[in-house]
Amino acid sequence: MECVVQGIIETQHVEALEILLQGLCGVQRERLRVHELTLKSVPNLGVVSSEVRLLCDLDQQPEPTWTVKHVGGALRGAGADQISVLVRTMIESKVSKNALRMFYSLGYKLDHELLKVGFAFHFQRTAHISVSVSSVNKMPKIHAIDEAVPVTPGMQIVVVTAPATPENYSEVAAAVSSFCEFLAPLVHLSKPFISTGVVPTAAAAAASLMSDGGGTTL
Amino acid sequence: MPVKWVLYWQPNQGSTVSTQILNEAAQCAESINGVKEGRWKATLNYYKPMLRDQSNHPDLPRDFLGISLADQPSKYYFIIRSQRIVVEADATIQLIMEKLQSYKSKVSLYFDGFQYQLGDFRLRVGRVVPVHSESIRGIVMEVEYLPISSMEKARKVMEEFVEIWHEALSKRSLSGKFVNSELNFGEFGLADTYTPQHTGVQYAIVMAHMIATVQPVVRG
Repeated sequence: MECVVQGIIETQHVEALEILLQGLCGVQRERLRVHELTLKSVPNLGVVSSEVRLLCDLDQQPEPTWTVKHVGGALRGAGADQISVLVRTMIESKVSKNALRMFYSLGYKLDHELLKVGFAFHFQRTAHISVSVSSVNKMPKIHAIDEAVPVTPGMQIVVVTAPATPENYSEVAAAVSSFCEFLAPLVHLSKPFISTGVVPTAAAAAASLMSDGGGTTL
Repeated sequence: MPVKWVLYWQPNQGSTVSTQILNEAAQCAESINGVKEGRWKATLNYYKPMLRDQSNHPDLPRDFLGISLADQPSKYYFIIRSQRIVVEADATIQLIMEKLQSYKSKVSLYFDGFQYQLGDFRLRVGRVVPVHSESIRGIVMEVEYLPISSMEKARKVMEEFVEIWHEALSKRSLSGKFVNSELNFGEFGLADTYTPQHTGVQYAIVMAHMIATVQPVVRG
């Protein structure tokens, strides 16, 4: 299970966001370069059609590492509507490098793939929170990572996630929500698929952060 | 990780596999100064594709299996022998497979028995039984040489140990023998340095041999 919010930010303000995050998180940023492949089951396979994501972390040494991720349904109902973050089932598993070949053999086909390039902060604040800021890139040819181009030039996506359990998701959601308020001057974060656009005053906030390296209170 | 060979019991023509053979093998281990260390267990699942329309069968593998090994409780291993694929994953991959509902575990087997220390060797002898059943379907034996991780470097000493084992076991006049399947790990993308993925592949091959032999079974 995880709690998720996301938002968009103009690329010109990413540096300011990084300064803000550096101050808030108190940890070193990590480079993010992840090749994300979404696979779908072939027709007739499975009780229902299924989808699975394979994530290849290209920055790991000595060689890229792979993770399989299944994202399930979101929490629904009046309780879910009260929460400002999306709570959904999510299961991850590290896998060895030929997992993609295995899923192809099992009747899964590549539906689409993306390359996410940017940075991330992982820290503890009541919950274990991860913030990533990245450009989302598409590939003109299958698996052509080196030829990837931004899906929306000039814009980057900010994603805040935190793992949760059925017993603690309320607290985790509150922690994520509370953290997001600090980012409000630069980016508005909300449940995925509920877009709120860029923050109109982000330019002023960014200028303030850049002028004194983040010492000004926003 | 130390090199390990996984052997399986091959009964003579007309003979059956039984708990008595397992007991003899255990006693044999003790007779050559094996020190009993405790029990071990592994679980193997055969997966079958779930199809909405049974008359329309896409080209999907019939030998897709998953195995949980005694030495690696937080990991799970998938093998598709016909495609020479082996994958190591976290144990949570089983939850993902359940969520996907594209494949279901139709047959599950336990491997369980006792473990012995013999100098630099570790020996595990165990029965193969379907889950929820006591009918023994086979017997396996793991031989591990603790000081060495290189398959090639360990080959000679492993062969010598297996020879000693065969000699000791032959005194018990059992109708069959333990067999080691020679297999090309390179075809599965595995190197000379031994890993749990090598163990997973060996179990897949052992099961293929056991199924091919189709021996009659006896209770208990």
